[in-house]
Amino acid sequence: MKYLVYVELKNGKPSGAALELLSAAKKAGADAAAVLAESGCEDAAAETAKFASEVIILDDVITDPNGRPTEDFLTAALAKLAADEGADGVLLSAAPFNRNIAPRIASRMGVGCVTDVIGLTVEGGTVVFTRPSYGGTVLEKQSAADNKVVATIRSGSFDAPEEGAACEPVHKSVAVDDADLKAKITEFIAEAGEVVNLEDADVIVAGGRGMGSEEGFKLVEDLANELGAVVGASRPAIESGWVGRTHQVGQSGKIVAPKLYIACGISGAMQHVSGMMDSGYIVAINKDEDAPIFQIADVGIVGDVHKILPLMIDAVKAHKAQ
Amino acid sequence: MEFLVCVKQVPDDSVEIHLNPETSTPDLSQADPEAGAFDTYAEELAVRFIEENEGSVTVVSVGTEDNKTCIKNSIAVGASSGYVVADEGTDCLDSAQVADLLAAAAAKIEEQEGKKFDIILCGKESTDAIGGQVGPLLAEKLNLPLVENAVEITSVDGGISVKQETDTGFMMYEIATPAVVTISKPDYDPRYPTIRSKMAARKAKIPTLSLSDLGITDLASEAKISSLGFEEPKKRQAGIKINETEAEEAVKKAMDQMIADKAL
Repeated sequence: MKYLVYVELKNGKPSGAALELLSAAKKAGADAAAVLAESGCEDAAAETAKFASEVIILDDVITDPNGRPTEDFLTAALAKLAADEGADGVLLSAAPFNRNIAPRIASRMGVGCVTDVIGLTVEGGTVVFTRPSYGGTVLEKQSAADNKVVATIRSGSFDAPEEGAACEPVHKSVAVDDADLKAKITEFIAEAGEVVNLEDADVIVAGGRGMGSEEGFKLVEDLANELGAVVGASRPAIESGWVGRTHQVGQSGKIVAPKLYIACGISGAMQHVSGMMDSGYIVAINKDEDAPIFQIADVGIVGDVHKILPLMIDAVKAHKAQ
Repeated sequence: MEFLVCVKQVPDDSVEIHLNPETSTPDLSQADPEAGAFDTYAEELAVRFIEENEGSVTVVSVGTEDNKTCIKNSIAVGASSGYVVADEGTDCLDSAQVADLLAAAAAKIEEQEGKKFDIILCGKESTDAIGGQVGPLLAEKLNLPLVENAVEITSVDGGISVKQETDTGFMMYEIATPAVVTISKPDYDPRYPTIRSKMAARKAKIPTLSLSDLGITDLASEAKISSLGFEEPKKRQAGIKINETEAEEAVKKAMDQMIADKAL
C-alpha cells in the first residue's frame, strides 16, 4: 500500500502538520511518497527527504498570486500523480486549503474521503480513522473501502517523524488540462495585520467575550507579548471586532495544541474547547465560577480578568527577571 | 440568476451532543432539528442576491418527510420552492452518495420547473458531521466550476465574481455559470421570518422526490466510507481552582502552581 503525502510550506519550510502525515502513513502500514508543489521548494524538499523514503517535487505548477498552487491545479495534479504512482491514497494536513481539495481528489481517484482525522488504528488489516463530529463531543470511527482514501489529518495528532537516511528528491510533472482549471483567480486581498501562526505556537494567550472591549482585549496581547506567545481568540471576541478572525481558535477557526494555553474571559463553549483541548497545560481566568472552561483547566482562577491580567503580567515579568 | 441551495437538517448545534450509553450512538433527543448554520448563510446570501438582481431561490434537502419543516422555514425567509429527496431505505449514505442524489435532484427539479440553475450553493460544512465534502463532491459530479468558503457573490459579464475566505485574507475568483459555491459566514446574519411569511410558508407544497423519481434504482455506488461506530473523547481532568477574594493572592497561587508544574 502506498499513500502520497502532500507537504505544504510554512515560512519556506515543510509544515510540521505535513511532516506528521509521514508518521500517520507509517502507522497505517503504507509506504509514503512526499509531494511538494510550491515555487522555490527545493530546500524544503531536501529537509523533507530526511524523513521520507521518497520525495517528489511537482514541476509546472499553476500558482495563485501568493505563489502557491491553485485549488483547481492541485486537485487535478495530485489525482493524476496518484494514478501515475499507483498510490492508494493521499494524505493532507487539515488546513482549510487542503480540506477544500481533498474530497475533489478523492472523487477523481474514485475513492472515499475522510476529513479532520485525529487518530488511526489498524484493525484486522483495515485502517480505522477517528474523527470528531458534533463539535467534538463525539468521535466517529470510519474506514474506507480497501483502505483507498484521501484523508485530511489535524496537526498534532501524530508525532513528528524520525529522521532516517535522506533520499534524493525527484522532479515530476503531470499534464493538467485547461478543462481542469475552471476557476480564474483575479486577485488576492491580504488581510491587514500580521501573519498569525497559532498551529506552531508553544504558548497561546486567548481572549473571549469576558475581555469586554477592544481596549480590554489589549491585556491579552500584553500578556502574550510578555510570554512570547501568539494571541488567540474565541468567536465572540472575533465577532465583536476586537481582534482579526485569523486569531480564532475553535471548530470554525484553528485547532491548536500548544504546551501552554491561557484562556482569558472565555467561558468554554464546545465550539472553542474542541479547538484547544489537546493543549499541554491549560490556565483559565473567568469570573463565572461555573464556567465550563474550568472543567478542563489545570489551573483555574475565578476572578475578573481586568484585575487578574495586569497582576499576572507583572508576575511573569518578575519571574523572567529571576 | 436561478439558485439551488442544498440544505442539511441537523440537530440544534447549541445543544451539546453526547453518546447514549445504551446504544453508543449520538443522543439527539434534546436537540431540535434545524437547518445547518452554514446552509442558512447560503440561503441568506442567495436571497440577498436575487433581491438586488433578479431570479429565484429553490432549496433541496436529502432526508425524511421530517425535513419539510426545515424547508418551510427556508420558504419563509425568501425561497420560492423546496424539495425533499427521500432517502428512506438508504442506510447511512456517505458524502459522495448524498452528492449523487443532489445532482440527480437538481436535474429533476430543472425539468419539473422548466428552468436551469445558474448557481448551486451549499454551506461549507454541516454542524453535525462537519465533513465539508458534499459541496465539492457535487461540483465534481456535475463537472462545474467551484469556489469554496465564499462570503460574497456578485454578478459579472459571463458569470460571477466570488470572494473566498482564506487563512490570510480573501482570494477573488471569476467563474462561469452554472457553478457550485460553498458558503462560509458572511459579515451578516440570516434574516428571521415574519409572522406573515411564516403563515404563507406553512401552506407551501413541498414535493418529495423518491429515488425512483430520480431514476435511481440502486444507489450508483456502494458507500466508499463506512461508519464503524462512535466513542466519547477522553475526558480531561480538571486541576486546581483558585477562588480568592484578593486578586493578588489568586495570581500568586496560580503562578506558584504554574512554576511548580513547569508550565512557564
